[in-house]
Amino acid sequence: MAQYDESSQKLTIKLVYYGPALSGKTTNLMRLHDILTPDMKGELMIMETADDRTLFFDLLPLGFRAPSGLLIKFKVYTVPGQVIHDSTRKAVLSRADGVVFVADSQRTQSVNNGESFENLAANAARVGLDFQQLPLVVQFNKRDLPAILSEQEIMARWEKAPWPVLFSSALTGEGIIETFKALLAAVYRTCDRLYRLQSDHGLDCDSFIAQTLGGSLSSARG
Amino acid sequence: MYDFQSGGDFERDLNLDELLTGIDKSRLISALNVLLDTTVGVVDDTGASVIGDNSSKTVDRVPLHGELEPVGFLQTRTAVPSERLSAAADLMQLILRCNARYLLASDIHLQTQRDDFEELQRRNVALQASEARYKKLSESLEIRVKEQVKTIEKAHLKLYRNEKQASVGRLAAGVAHEINNPLGFIRSNVATAASYLESFYEFNALIDNGASSKDLRKVWEERELSLLLDDFKDLMKESLEGLDRIAKIVIALKGFSRIDQTETERADIDTIVRQICQVAESQWQQKAKLVLELSSENPIQCQSAQLGQVVYGLLGNAVDAIETNGIIRIRTAVRNGVVVLEVQDNGRGIPEAVLAHVFEPFFTTKEVGQGTGLGLTVCHDIVKEHGGTIEIVSQVSKGTRVTVNLPVQNAIQHSRES
Repeated sequence: MAQYDESSQKLTIKLVYYGPALSGKTTNLMRLHDILTPDMKGELMIMETADDRTLFFDLLPLGFRAPSGLLIKFKVYTVPGQVIHDSTRKAVLSRADGVVFVADSQRTQSVNNGESFENLAANAARVGLDFQQLPLVVQFNKRDLPAILSEQEIMARWEKAPWPVLFSSALTGEGIIETFKALLAAVYRTCDRLYRLQSDHGLDCDSFIAQTLGGSLSSARG
Repeated sequence: MYDFQSGGDFERDLNLDELLTGIDKSRLISALNVLLDTTVGVVDDTGASVIGDNSSKTVDRVPLHGELEPVGFLQTRTAVPSERLSAAADLMQLILRCNARYLLASDIHLQTQRDDFEELQRRNVALQASEARYKKLSESLEIRVKEQVKTIEKAHLKLYRNEKQASVGRLAAGVAHEINNPLGFIRSNVATAASYLESFYEFNALIDNGASSKDLRKVWEERELSLLLDDFKDLMKESLEGLDRIAKIVIALKGFSRIDQTETERADIDTIVRQICQVAESQWQQKAKLVLELSSENPIQCQSAQLGQVVYGLLGNAVDAIETNGIIRIRTAVRNGVVVLEVQDNGRGIPEAVLAHVFEPFFTTKEVGQGTGLGLTVCHDIVKEHGGTIEIVSQVSKGTRVTVNLPVQNAIQHSRES
């Protein structure tokens, strides 16, 4: 749950990119770091091993001030996708306010996607997150690769699920912002309910998203 | 200062003091002093001095950013060109960021380790609890199995005793038939003899009325009274034989029905065999001929009723094995101090696979309700109590021979009696 610090007027929102190993979680974060232009943007901290596999997590801090002066701070994390790092995944997922599940569109990865999604549900339960209420967006990444599941196939499988499904190519940046926006919209709803962003801080959903993305970007990308 | 022992929440915002953990502050500040060519100090976001000399008034100041917000300020006592100042701040931010990475990594490492350890401890406790539960369960299971075994054993014993009783019942039915036969002809004989008496009473009346001897002779011959007299004698003789037969059966039955006897007595197998055959004759009459070759002679110390049950059981099996026109031979003999009893039939025989199990309790090839599967078990146990052995040789469709060996000198065991 978001951390609201009244004395320093700061609301810290934790977003987590979850998914199977090598599905493009870190690449998502790198693209966000490149593209986003909010008032405050920290440096992307990447903790990886020598072979570019995420060891603990990656972290991208973002922030802006609401009209009320409240600092809205985002900490966007990735989890390590490799199966053995489950404890770390659990720790990073803990207290998340929103999750992007980054799936790998390649046909060969269907089983890994499924297992990782089950792992997400299981770990959410372990750290006390209500999986049914958790803002969640599903992103099928690597649309630029051959031998991928078609959008029809994916939508057929996910049509009954309650979560938005988006398609992306993190390498080219396609779909990255759309995914992030979908997550922000879902996160705004819960944060507004808990912290009265609209009424107490003069922050509606559109400007919440626009300010997180950065002024020029939100108008350019709609 | 960062506490490496307990670690911290990897998500919290690190303050400047924590970010400088493990960094040689005097080297850092003297390097900054040389680079900026002035006296440099660093304060945190609350204005508290962290490194360098912040005591006197400062001229220039530049923020040091943490993740997003300033965590402190770099300040100098004399004016420094702004690009040099921000270059120095940037250099310091690189150092802080580098350290932050390390601290975050160590935080999450400690946290996951602690979580894993707690999880292990939880599992350990759960395992111990479940182990204790299983241990308890296994203990009570043992008791329950023992109770169950006891119940089954009781039920077996009851069935076993029932089998002994049932054989007596079957025998009684046969005996009724055996006794009915002689009873029938004795009744008929006596009735006929009674009707003969009428003729003799009439003859006696003639004598009383003073009939002449000539007339008397005439009547004697006309009425064939000599023949009647002879027949009367035969009728009485036959009836007496019948009564003897009934008496014998009753004696045999009396001996045989004492199945609860615990004391032993001297008895010879031949007599036992004869008695059993006598009372059980109706069983085979229709389909088999019985041949007795009895020469055991010497009586042995035994429980005769029990041995009678063995003979009865083996005879019953032989009869059951025969469809029609069979021959059952019962032989007795004494060989090397052992009384040998053989019951042989030429019936259907026992397949090898079945033969291996015939002495097992409750093993039966008969239809449900037709046999208890205890007949041979009872025989086997009785023979064993007498210190003997029992063997079966059989050939399918040729017949079966059961051999019982009983030692003549035998201290009878009382192990079964309880």
